[in-house]
This record gives sequence, structure tokens and C-alpha cells, in this order.
Amino acid sequence: MSTQDVTRAPVAKTAVDTFVKTTGSWVATQLEACTRCGICAQACHFYEATGNPEFAPVWKVELLRRAYEQRFTPPGKLKVALGLDKPVTDRDIQHWSTIVYEACTLCNKCAMVCPMGIQLGPLIHEVREAMAASQVVPADLVTAIRKQEELGSPLGVTEEMWEERIEWIADEWEVDIPIDVQGAETLVVFTSIEVMKFPENVVAIARILNAAGEKWTISTPGREVVNFGVFEGNPERTKLFMARLFDAARSLGVRRLVVTECGHAYDLLRWTAHNMTDVPVEITHIVAVIDDLLNKGRIKLQAGKYDSLGPIAFHDACKIQRRGGHIQEPRNILRILAPNSFREISPNREESICCGGGGGVIAIQEADPLRYKVFELKMRQMAAAGTKTITMTCANCRLQFTDGIKHFGLDVQVRGLAAMVADALIEE
Amino acid sequence: MDWYAILEFSRGPMFYTALLVFMAGMTYRLFSTILLGWQADRVPNRGSKLRGVAVSYLKGFGIWPFFPWVKGTLSRNPVTYLAGGLFHLGLFVVIFLGTAHMLVWKSLLGFGWPTLALPIIDWLSAVTIVAMIALAINRRINPVLRLISGPAEWTNLIIVFLPMITGYMTTHHLWFRYETLFSLHMLSINLMLIWIPFSRISHFMFYFFSRTFHGAQAGKRAVAP
Ligand code: HEM
Ligand code: SF4
Ligand code: SF4
Repeated sequence: MSTQDVTRAPVAKTAVDTFVKTTGSWVATQLEACTRCGICAQACHFYEATGNPEFAPVWKVELLRRAYEQRFTPPGKLKVALGLDKPVTDRDIQHWSTIVYEACTLCNKCAMVCPMGIQLGPLIHEVREAMAASQVVPADLVTAIRKQEELGSPLGVTEEMWEERIEWIADEWEVDIPIDVQGAETLVVFTSIEVMKFPENVVAIARILNAAGEKWTISTPGREVVNFGVFEGNPERTKLFMARLFDAARSLGVRRLVVTECGHAYDLLRWTAHNMTDVPVEITHIVAVIDDLLNKGRIKLQAGKYDSLGPIAFHDACKIQRRGGHIQEPRNILRILAPNSFREISPNREESICCGGGGGVIAIQEADPLRYKVFELKMRQMAAAGTKTITMTCANCRLQFTDGIKHFGLDVQVRGLAAMVADALIEE
Repeated sequence: MDWYAILEFSRGPMFYTALLVFMAGMTYRLFSTILLGWQADRVPNRGSKLRGVAVSYLKGFGIWPFFPWVKGTLSRNPVTYLAGGLFHLGLFVVIFLGTAHMLVWKSLLGFGWPTLALPIIDWLSAVTIVAMIALAINRRINPVLRLISGPAEWTNLIIVFLPMITGYMTTHHLWFRYETLFSLHMLSINLMLIWIPFSRISHFMFYFFSRTFHGAQAGKRAVAP
């Protein structure tokens, strides 16, 4: 072989090398446990909405399985020698790139259903890591990653834009938003989705924390909680974007970091970060903070304030509820705010169906038709419960709901839970 | 052909060799996977990992390994659940509570236990065989199963089916002479024992890893696994 054509880099080799590198015992034992029963397929909203067998979770990890078996197990090596199993090719990588980025939100519902309890979501994330290493990532995702790298936010919000926007929000709603306050207790990190598209959420959280007398601040260098390194599956970028937050936390001397409405950021910072880097602060989610303030009597709410709105349902976000653990807190809050009109949609809690916009899918325009198709499952759930208002604790879900509801012209209101809480505050 | 000699061989030296291959093979599989390395989990817990693991097993073993805990899984996978559940139930009951099998265990372990009456075992074997046929048909027609099933999956089914069907034929003296059927039963069991470590049938061992991991992941987040 002479020179390599750079435009046709050996992607399959890079991908397989990454698979092999990331294969520890936890990956191996999970892959070995799979009985190829196919039960996980029906758990996946992408499969259920389309009936495309390639969207079965077990098929999404097929390349990882092949790479693992062919590299580490004698039967795997034998199978390739006999022509019973195919080595991973460049075309496979291209093909699976679409499947794992556009038809998977890493929601991990499939793991709840798998009789063996296989953690398919994290395994699919491993597949994304290999895709990222071989640079076969959807173009729209790459654009957002570049923006986050260079401008500090995947939406392209620069420092000046952010500062102006925060100032405007504080003026417009007449609310105190402390910026870069040394010695504050709590660092609150918003998503730029909230800052740009749902400013009322920023206002709400500020009003709640102010009412509780919390010593809190936001940070200019640590202003974006969204982490597109996670969506891409690139550990280096993931760490880089995380470091911006932790450095900010260190220099402000805060005790804890509160993640606002971002599912993947919460899963990363609360449940993964410690295994990747040093975490200098306690990490928690805003819904847990609100519930705690209520329990301690630091804020008070008008009971039954939203009962007149008609049936209100709560959408469980995959990464804040199922993967985050905050299943009970939003329900405690809703039992105060709307004891008579709060309804569960089915299935819910850890079994809930993903909104369809997570995992970076909503950032990929090519995936739009699929994303709307998947949202129809959510529409069916809401219709079955007669929901007129749906509330949630994740801004990314909220983006998907607002967009989906507009696309289909539904008569349903989407509200952030924090905003509902803030509007019901009894201020002394 | 001298079926008596074949029987002597297949239930004697060959059986013991197969058992050895099975045990050595499974040990190899176990160590080759767990020696790949584990990363310590340094994430502070919110709930109890231990509790998560306990609940994970209660759910996994509660009724039989396949109880469909999550809403909608049974109605969407009726054949896999019912036939799969009956097949495993039958398999385990026949292997451990059939008198003839218990005697083999007794000769290997040195102690025995009470068994179920032959008609019950017989009936359950028939159910198991039918369940396996249902699983095979399902694997042929379900689009997802077709996509994910290669030669290995089919070989597994056939290799587990053979001891079942020959065992049933042996107790009923169907079509062939007793010693022929018994020999075939032993040969197929030996084949299965040798095959298991090289195939996905070894899932019964890795089940304990995946279920534990799943339970711990949910438990530390204080979520029901
Ligand atoms: C801890 C013990 C075990 C557990 C938890 C377990 C679990 C499972 C599960 C969840 C499936 C997929 C569902 C299905 O297709 O039925 C399966 C399939 C299967 N199991 Fe097991 N199993 C165990 C032991 C065994 C043993 C000891 C054997 C055989 C010697 C076996 C043979 C099979 C076969 C052949 C299949 C594939 C059936 C098909 O093609 O659909 N299993 N097992
Ligand atoms: S993680 Fe969610 S989206 Fe991905 S395969 Fe599993 S169920 Fe489907
Ligand atoms: S449900 Fe679990 S065991 Fe069955 S095919 Fe999917 S991953 Fe494998």
C-alpha cells in the first residue's frame, strides 16, 4: 500500500480500534448476556413509531458486538474465518452512524424492558464514541459542537449576547439575577435554550431562589450547561465543556452546582463526571432543590393554584427522572399546585416514553420527520389522559413538545414546572 | 450398529469429557470477560446500590426469569414471553426434578432430593418441546428476530432442542429401540454441553452480571430497576 487518500480515511479501522479500546468487562459481560430475544425492540419509541427493525436497540449495538466478538472471543474469530460473521466495513460505519445518532435518544428505556437488564443506552453511547473517533457524525451535530467549542454555546450564543440577554431578562421581569458573585453557596447553570427561548424559566428559578433567601449566582465563564460532547460521544470535548463549569465553580468557591433544565447535562454531571474527572462540588438538579425548599418551609406555594386549568400531566424526562432519579419530587410539587387536576400519563416514571428530541436528535435537521413521527406516541399518551397542560423539568423536552405541538396543531399548553412554581409563590 | 457400546461410551467417558469441556469452557469464558478490567465507580450514591440489586433479582426471578414488569411488554411480545418462559421453566424443572436426571446429579454430587411424579415431568416436557417450536416459528416470522438471528442463533435452538426431543422419545419408546434412543439422548446432551461455552447459551452465567449491573445503576439513582 502506498499513500492514503485522506478523503477516504479508514473509518472502520478507527471505529473498531475505539470499540476495542472502550471494551472493558462491563461492556463484555453485557454483550455476552444478550440472548437475541428482540424484546427490547418494542420498548424503543423509534421502532414503535416506524416498525423499522433496524431501530431495535439490540441492532444498534450490533457493530460493537461484532467488534468485541471478533477481537476477543475464539468463536468470534472462528466465525469470521468461516465466513459466518462479517468484519466491520466503512459502509457499516456510515450506515450505523445514521441509526445511532438520528434514531436513538439514549433514553435507556430499553434497559428497563430487557429481561437480562442490559444497559443498552450506555452501550449505544459507546457506539457513538466509535463514530465520533472515526468522524462520521451528522453535519448538524458537528456545527453545534463547533459553536460550543468556539463561542461557548451550541446555539451560538456568545459571551456578549449572553450578558445582554441576562441583563434584558433581569430588567424586563424586574428580578435579581446575581452574576459572578464570589463566595455564593450555589452556582446555577442554565442552558442557552432557556436563556434564549424560555427566558421565563430563568426568571422563575431566580424568583424561587431569591424568595428562599438562597445565596446563589450564575457564572459568565460557566454559563452553558448543555454538553454537545456527550451527544457526539467525544470524551475529550465532554471533559473540556465540563471543565468550564468546574473551573467556574472552583473560582467562585461555591459549595454546589445546580443543573437547571437539561437532562443530558444532569446525567453527565451527576452520574458520570466523577468517573471522568475531579468534581469539586456537589451536583444537584433544580427540581430537587425546589422540593427541598418546600420541605424546609423556605418557600410557600398557593395550594391548588392550577386546579382550574383542567387536566395537567407531567412528562418524565429520561435523564432527569429515569436516569436522574428525581421521580418523586415533581409529583410532590404538583400535588401541592394541582391536587385535583394532576393526572399521570401512561406509562410514566421510570417506564416513561422519551419525547423523541433527546440525545442531540433535535439538533439534526435530517432527523425531523422521524422526530415528529416519534412525537405521535407522546400525543397518543396525552390524548388518552385528556391532557390540556403538560409540564416537565427539561428544556430539551420542552423544545420538542413546543415544536411537536405546533407541527401537529394540538390544543395543549406546555409549561415548565419551575415557572408554575414561581407563579404560585406566596411572597411575604 | 452396536448401540449398547455407543450407549456405554456416551453415558460414560464421553459424558464425563463433555462435562469437563463444559466446566473448563465456562471458566475460560468467565475469566476472559472479567479480566478485561473494571472501572471503579466513584459517583456518590443517592439511593442504595444493594437495594437496587436485590430488587433487580426479585424482579428477574420473581415468577420466572421473564416476568414482564414493564407495561406493554407482554402484549407486544406474547410468544417470546409465554413460550420463552414455559421453555425455561420446563427445562429447569425437568433437569432438576425429573427422577432420572436427579439420579445423575446424585451420582455426580453424592446426594439426592425428592422429585416430581413422571406424568407431571412428562407433560412438562411436551409443553417445553411445543414452546421451543413456537420460539423457532416466532424467530422465523418476527422481522426484528429475523434481522438479528444468524446461523449461531439457529444452531443454539437446535442444539437445545435435540436433548429435549430425544429425552421425550426415550421415555415413550417412540419409533426406535430403547438403547438407540437413550444413546441419541446422551449424544445430544454431550453435544450441548460442549457447545454451550462457545455460544450464547452461556447467557445463564452472564445474566448475573447484567442483572447486577442494572440493579446497581438504578439503585444508586434511587430508581426502581
Ligand atoms: C439463569 C438462567 C437463565 C436465564 C435468566 C435465561 C434467560 C433467557 C432469556 C431472557 C431468553 C430470551 C427470551 C426467549 O427467547 O425465551 C433466553 C433464551 C434462550 N435460552 Fe435462556 N436463560 C437461562 C438459562 C438457560 C439455559 C440453562 C439454557 C439451555 C441449556 C437456555 C437456553 C436458551 C435458549 C436456547 C434460548 C433462545 C430461545 C429462542 O431462540 O428464542 N437458557 N434465555
Ligand atoms: S436508548 Fe431509547 S432511543 Fe435508544 S434504543 Fe434504547 S429505547 Fe431506543
Ligand atoms: S431485550 Fe436484551 S437480551 Fe433481548 S435482544 Fe434486547 S438486549 Fe438482547
